[in-house]
Amino acid sequence: MTTTAPVIRRRMDPVYLWIIIPTLALFTLAITLPTVMGLFMSFTNSIGFGTWEFIGLNNYVAIFQDPAILQSYAFTFGFAIVTVLAVNVLAFLLALGLTARIRALTALRAIFVLPMVISGIVIAYVFNFLFSNSLPALGTALGIPWLSTSVLVNPDLAWVAIVIVTTWSAIPGTLLIYIAGLVTVPREVYEAADIDGATPLRRLTHITLPLVAGYVAINMILGVKNFLNAYEIIVGLTDGGPGTSTRSIAMTIFTGFSGGDYAFQMANAAIFFLIVVAITLVQLRFTQRGEKA
Amino acid sequence: MPPPLSRRAFLTAAAAGAVGLGLSGCASDDRAIVRFHSSKPESIPYFRELVARYNQEQSAARVVLDTATNLQAAFLRGSPPDVGCLNYNMEMARFMERGVLSDLSDMPEAGRIRPEVQQLADQYATFPGRTNVLPFSVAAESVIYNRAIFDEHGVEVPTTWTGFLAACETFQAAGVAPLYGTFKDNWTLAQGMFDYALGGLIDVPEFFAAITELGTAVGPDSPRSFQRDFLEPMERMRELVPFHQADAASRAYPDGNLAFARGEAAMYLQGPWVFGELAKTDPDLSLGTFPLPMTEDPDDRKVRVNLDLALWIPEGSRQQEAARDFVAYLMRAEQMDDFNAQFLGFGTTTDAAPATDERIQDMQEFYDDGRFYLGPSQLVPLAIPLANHVQSMVLGADLRSTLAGVDADWARLAFRA
Amino acid sequence: MIRHERTSWSATVLLSVAALSVLVPLYVTVTMALKTNQQAVDGNAFSLPWPLSWDNFAEAWTLTNFPRALGVSVFITVLAVVGNVLLSSLFAFALARNWERRWVRLAFYYVLAALFVPFPVVALPQVQLTGNLGLDNPVGVVALHIAFGLSFNTLLFTAFLRSVPAELEESARLDGATTMQTFWRLVFPLLAPMSATVAIFSFLGSWNDFMMPSLIIADPSLQTVPVVQKIFQTQFSSNYNISFASYLMAMAPAILAYVFTQRWVIAGVTQGAIK
Repeated sequence: MTTTAPVIRRRMDPVYLWIIIPTLALFTLAITLPTVMGLFMSFTNSIGFGTWEFIGLNNYVAIFQDPAILQSYAFTFGFAIVTVLAVNVLAFLLALGLTARIRALTALRAIFVLPMVISGIVIAYVFNFLFSNSLPALGTALGIPWLSTSVLVNPDLAWVAIVIVTTWSAIPGTLLIYIAGLVTVPREVYEAADIDGATPLRRLTHITLPLVAGYVAINMILGVKNFLNAYEIIVGLTDGGPGTSTRSIAMTIFTGFSGGDYAFQMANAAIFFLIVVAITLVQLRFTQRGEKA
Repeated sequence: MPPPLSRRAFLTAAAAGAVGLGLSGCASDDRAIVRFHSSKPESIPYFRELVARYNQEQSAARVVLDTATNLQAAFLRGSPPDVGCLNYNMEMARFMERGVLSDLSDMPEAGRIRPEVQQLADQYATFPGRTNVLPFSVAAESVIYNRAIFDEHGVEVPTTWTGFLAACETFQAAGVAPLYGTFKDNWTLAQGMFDYALGGLIDVPEFFAAITELGTAVGPDSPRSFQRDFLEPMERMRELVPFHQADAASRAYPDGNLAFARGEAAMYLQGPWVFGELAKTDPDLSLGTFPLPMTEDPDDRKVRVNLDLALWIPEGSRQQEAARDFVAYLMRAEQMDDFNAQFLGFGTTTDAAPATDERIQDMQEFYDDGRFYLGPSQLVPLAIPLANHVQSMVLGADLRSTLAGVDADWARLAFRA
Repeated sequence: MIRHERTSWSATVLLSVAALSVLVPLYVTVTMALKTNQQAVDGNAFSLPWPLSWDNFAEAWTLTNFPRALGVSVFITVLAVVGNVLLSSLFAFALARNWERRWVRLAFYYVLAALFVPFPVVALPQVQLTGNLGLDNPVGVVALHIAFGLSFNTLLFTAFLRSVPAELEESARLDGATTMQTFWRLVFPLLAPMSATVAIFSFLGSWNDFMMPSLIIADPSLQTVPVVQKIFQTQFSSNYNISFASYLMAMAPAILAYVFTQRWVIAGVTQGAIK
């Protein structure tokens, strides 16, 4: 109900300015300025202090030839894709269960949401112990060779451990979004399907999934964005090892800086930034189209 | 320009006060505050005591010990400590190269340093016309061995490569792990097997001078390269892997200290910093050290050293005078001797007392003769994840391609330097 | 008659089994924390501890200087939660009530753009900046948590505010209330459910954050609980029982808070999800 009366251009209450301007200032100082500073530095050979000089695009050229950097991108993207799928499949199944007629519903929901309140690095340390000590002990007892040494020192399997722990700690948020979505599906829709004699699987793929597609999209976008920043769980589990096989992009940026590579890592960050923007835009585009269809 | 101290102090105090800590950190007198950074974990209690003594003996300055600040971040923040006393390595050398450390060449203490030792610092990098760091203590590293286990199996300290392998086989045949490995912590591999194998076979300073000269040209076809010069030493290193205990791959440094002190292996490739840890488990352990022989000529043996502690004062310190005074205090001969005796280090000055501890005594002659080399792992910039590469090689990665990767890293680093 | 209305026992059993994946690591944490050193090193994580070693907590308590770390974490979390709720709601209010102005809409999109900025991208310049401003301490972390939360929170609040009819406020204004009075008396209470959501997200974000405090806070003795775990880990990693006592203490406050508030937490997060 919009009124068609002409918009009266009132003078803005100065109070609004007193709110908006300082907030924008804080934001600019905390986010925009560092972004610009970092971008500027990426064209130098600075270590963050002391003398430096412009070296043009050399940092960017070096990045594209650096196997360690490329490996960190490959690892991070592979990890993000696998994890986002694992998290979403598991969280969706759990959400189906937790919206069904079950006993102990409140307790079960509370348990599955619990990991949300536990800090990633702490739980990573707990799992680190399980992976390095308990599982190998179990593996030795059962005579399974690949299990009797820690998966964390196995270059081919260490990433799986990281996926498991990240999934463990990321399920709650995703789960809650799915529960929120599933309760919006009207019961009558299912009743109608039951009358038509639809199998449970058919009901899932033809009714439930299309109705909660928007929620799937949200979870995918949030998940990818989070997992691309993977850092603390890796710190707690492998610290990037064995070798450099589980170094994420964030970790490369921070450890590179400790090694005196400020400018170079700023160039790395700039590329990472562009990629994240591109991915998010593509995802949003995709989602909007999906919703219109 | 650095911000006025008062604002930083105010905000820190505000934060501290708000969490109910009181303002105990603020000085009530007007003595200059000298922030002294020393992060070597073993020596923290020692320096804490030393600082307390210094604060009592004079009244011009008050030294505050800082043990955990991330230095790179502290310099980045524009608030470096006033005096640093820590391991001198590639990271510190980069600070120095960019001119953020002050010149100490006019201090009388600088003249007492042994030239070969000062040269170790110059191997990393130099800043024209300045002496930026004063070596305080040198750590010499070689193979630590359990005398009781050696005696029990009638094994003599080996002086040649074949002798060493024979010793390992004797232990293995007797069901004793010859070497205790902590492969999970990759730094232990870099400072141990990797450095010992290289230092015993190649001329370390000469090699690094050559590839620094080559810069971006380092690669498969360059006259000197990691893949060319390091290949044989790395093959030797890999020969040692089977002589470690079975679960070496999943053991970490603390596990190793516990196990070795309990006599679970005959030898341990660690530096003197580990003796204190071993003594925690068994103070009566009888240990000795010998350089890992890599050739058939006993005269080729050398010990690995590093500048375990070196002193420096940042240009950005606002307490230059007080900082220098404290450095001079630290560098007094009896003070340095006391430290080295306690932490099993070797003196850096011409007037230093020799080591008397039986655990490191055998390395003294090598040190005095200048038969030592700086650990090659220390001379590779941190931007190259060398320890990770070493770990991969130990765990079975292809040597040629891994070393070729290090070459490429080196060339790329030179390209954007 | 409808299948849906019957209790699904199979789902209940399956979910209960799945719940073990959450409970087992927590069970291990508790039992390990209570073991003696000998029991801890035998590698059997699932055995029950006996005798109970309560000293582990005392030792971890002093080794990590737990009370101080907890104090810093509480300080950061409380200020960040309050700051996030107040600043974002005020900001969203100011934007929503001046939406007809072009520059206001631009300001909104400007702030929204930060949703794209991953923390690692700005982290290092932020270290430099906070250092030079004397904010390399918990206060700086609070400021950054608020700045980083601004985008998402403003999005939540404006979506809500723009659905609130302006007539309500107009009547308050006719009674002579100023803009701020209108906000406090009328708008802020209306925003309560959204504020709860923002508060919960902000709590979880600040309380569990590792990356930002570890980089920004210069003085290690002013570090937060998660960061202290890492410092502790590198120094005392061989004493598993003490490490686990420390992990348990790090987890406990949030878990306890959650046990008592889980109904609201779940509702609050869900609310944020549908917006």
